Amino acid sequence: MRTVEDVVATVFGVERRSIDETSSPESVEGWDSMGHVNLLLALERNFKLSIAVADAIEMADVKKIKEILREYGVRA
Amino acid sequence: MNVTTSRPAEHERDGMRTLIAEAGAELLQSDAGTPERLSWLAQGLLRRSPMRLWEILRTRDTADIEQLAEPAALLSALAQRLLEDGRIRETEALRESATRWHVRLDGRVDHGLADAYARAGDTARAEERLRDLMKREPDNVDAVQLSYKLAKVSGRREQAHALLNRLVQMDPSMASAAFAYKERAGLGEGAGRPVRIAILSSYVVDPLIPFLDAECRGVGLSPSFYLGGFNQYVQEILSPSSALYSFNPEIVFLAVALEDLFPDISRMPPVEALARGHDEILERIGTLVRELRTRSKALIVVHELALTDWSPNGILDNRQPNGLVGWVETLNRALTESLAPHEAYLLPLRQVVGRVGTREGTDRKLRYMARMRFAEAALRELARYSMRYVKPLKGLTRKCVVVDLDGTLWGGVVGEVGADGIQLGPTAPGVEFVEFQEALLNLTRRGILLAACSKNNPDDVLPVLRDHPGMVLREQHFSALRIHWRNKADNLREIADELNIGLDSLVFVDDNPIERELIRLVLPEVLTVELPRDPSRFRPLLEDMSDFEVLALTREDEMRATGYQVARQRQALERASTSLNDYLHSLELRAAIGRARPAHLHRLVQLFNKTNQFNTTTRRYHTADVEGFLRSAAHHVYVLRVADRFGDHGLVGTAVVHDTGDTWWIEAFLLSCRVMGLSVETALLKRIVDDARSGNATRLVGEFVPTAKNGPAEDLYRRHGFRAALGAQAAIRWELDPRVDRMESPTWISVEASDA
Repeated sequence: MRTVEDVVATVFGVERRSIDETSSPESVEGWDSMGHVNLLLALERNFKLSIAVADAIEMADVKKIKEILREYGVRA
Repeated sequence: MNVTTSRPAEHERDGMRTLIAEAGAELLQSDAGTPERLSWLAQGLLRRSPMRLWEILRTRDTADIEQLAEPAALLSALAQRLLEDGRIRETEALRESATRWHVRLDGRVDHGLADAYARAGDTARAEERLRDLMKREPDNVDAVQLSYKLAKVSGRREQAHALLNRLVQMDPSMASAAFAYKERAGLGEGAGRPVRIAILSSYVVDPLIPFLDAECRGVGLSPSFYLGGFNQYVQEILSPSSALYSFNPEIVFLAVALEDLFPDISRMPPVEALARGHDEILERIGTLVRELRTRSKALIVVHELALTDWSPNGILDNRQPNGLVGWVETLNRALTESLAPHEAYLLPLRQVVGRVGTREGTDRKLRYMARMRFAEAALRELARYSMRYVKPLKGLTRKCVVVDLDGTLWGGVVGEVGADGIQLGPTAPGVEFVEFQEALLNLTRRGILLAACSKNNPDDVLPVLRDHPGMVLREQHFSALRIHWRNKADNLREIADELNIGLDSLVFVDDNPIERELIRLVLPEVLTVELPRDPSRFRPLLEDMSDFEVLALTREDEMRATGYQVARQRQALERASTSLNDYLHSLELRAAIGRARPAHLHRLVQLFNKTNQFNTTTRRYHTADVEGFLRSAAHHVYVLRVADRFGDHGLVGTAVVHDTGDTWWIEAFLLSCRVMGLSVETALLKRIVDDARSGNATRLVGEFVPTAKNGPAEDLYRRHGFRAALGAQAAIRWELDPRVDRMESPTWISVEASDA
């Protein structure tokens, strides 16, 4: 299964190797507010779930994304 | 399983062996002891001799196992290999060891074991493994399928039916619905209530039946179906001796396709043809419905007429006299009017198919090949929608929705963040909850009742219900309110009693999975909604439910909620004084009150700094301050411990009193929110009054300094007979005379002194 890092790399069109748990809007080119919406949709598609707006706002970096996905029962 | 397709020559194999041995040796020397290396070696052993690997592993402890790179994958693979070799005993031993090592094996291991037991005829053991598996992986379709087979061969018919329900629920595909439908025919009827459903159609609707069957079974009905012969609906309705009437249907669906009634529709018919078509179709369906009505008491549901294709007029369709979109619109409206006097309903087919999308939902090839019209997704949706007629017909309409508050009607916990902090308003996060509330309010217009059941302090919740600008639902929309800390199963029973409806009329909506689990377990007749974590899904989920339909709307339905509201206000006082009293007595509360000692220092500082709600002055004393009070003869610091029959709450209240001789000042008085609403504050206050009296004080003064959060403490002094005195700035001062004013502890608290 594709990991959160894989999805982030695909959405922003960057090398998979350049993404790790610390990756965030500050460090990834293109991760702006619109990019965040695209990422949200890609995560929902990839993990087959629906993410609350309150949670989407909290997704400040890859590590936090994983924590939140775990709340949805995803083993990320 | 060693499957070799081509066998290499002997010398080639020797060469290969050498190569592998060399590679292995190299790996052994490099990176000695890394998890990858160990796993690599174990993998090799797994392929060559799983038994050998098991022999090595079985004696290891958790620390050894943690050395492996992916222990779960390796051990699961080993278990699979052992099973393939028929080694059930070793697989069981491995399964036990895995638990000891805290390794979670793949669900396929339990499934494989169950399968092996089943084949050996050991049904009991097989089911035990399946139960474990389904507890761990509730979505495991294979496990349910195997459980079903076991139930079937053991002749447990009800259980087999229930497992088929679960199977279709987990995998709602046409294949699985058809499988279940076919199996049921062989099982014999279950315990459900019968319902006789007839479907008459101009096209092939056979594949709808398994979906409809599954929907009916899911709500405890045992349906029997009458499927009209292909395109014979006219004869069947018009002939009094037809099989349709001897079937004696309770509900008849009439599904006739527009192109079957009016084949010219796809050839750009001119205006005159359309006008003629309109009249003919109305006349034809009108006659059928009239005839059906005279010969049958069944509920009649006619599918709306729908265009399959884009209009041949293109974007000019709505400007042409022979425009098709407007024509169909008018036709359906006329049809609705002609149906109403015969108690027949028009099913909004275009909306139903639109839910899944016309492109996904209709299939031309099915039409050409099989005379079918709808594809899998649309059939499932149509079956679901059809239940909106079946359920009220069979008295399965749910009459009341019981909602939780925090996390369900608004985002966040109001007791923690306050009314200003909850998510509820015009922007997200918050708008999701507003729209969900609107959907709930819409239900009340249909005569469905609302009740709230929340573990909360009424003082936190009522201001939100009454004044929060984002609330769509107000106190008067709820026919019953249960806002306190008792268990929700009892509350639901009470609500059903109070509203005089059955538990099977309740729907329970709560964002907390633990509460949902409790209700599912204790009150299975209540319909517990599986609320997703994302609140933007709440409204569509509620609106997709087919449990709130009524076949007719009366003025009483619309008024019902108001009637309950009046009755509730009348009963509220009475209930508050009787049941609350009983409840408090049942807690067997014990309060221990005494002077603070240095040992309490840490907890006191914590209380002074963390307590926001029941805190009269919110003065944040730190360690040095409290130490000062304890040393000072002019300060009395009280501590309150509370216990009830469920356990000890610990040190949950304190008060700081400044003793100036004649006057005693209560500078701080606070309670942990854990014990709010139990009146333990009265016991503490009484002790202070008594001490002031024996200290010959003539005045006891309490201060209240309002903050955004300390509303619960606002009326502490008023409630206890203090008189309002002058307020300095924001503070309000209250006083009484300890020489004459007496105070009593509540009868449900046994108070003891805990002074050293």
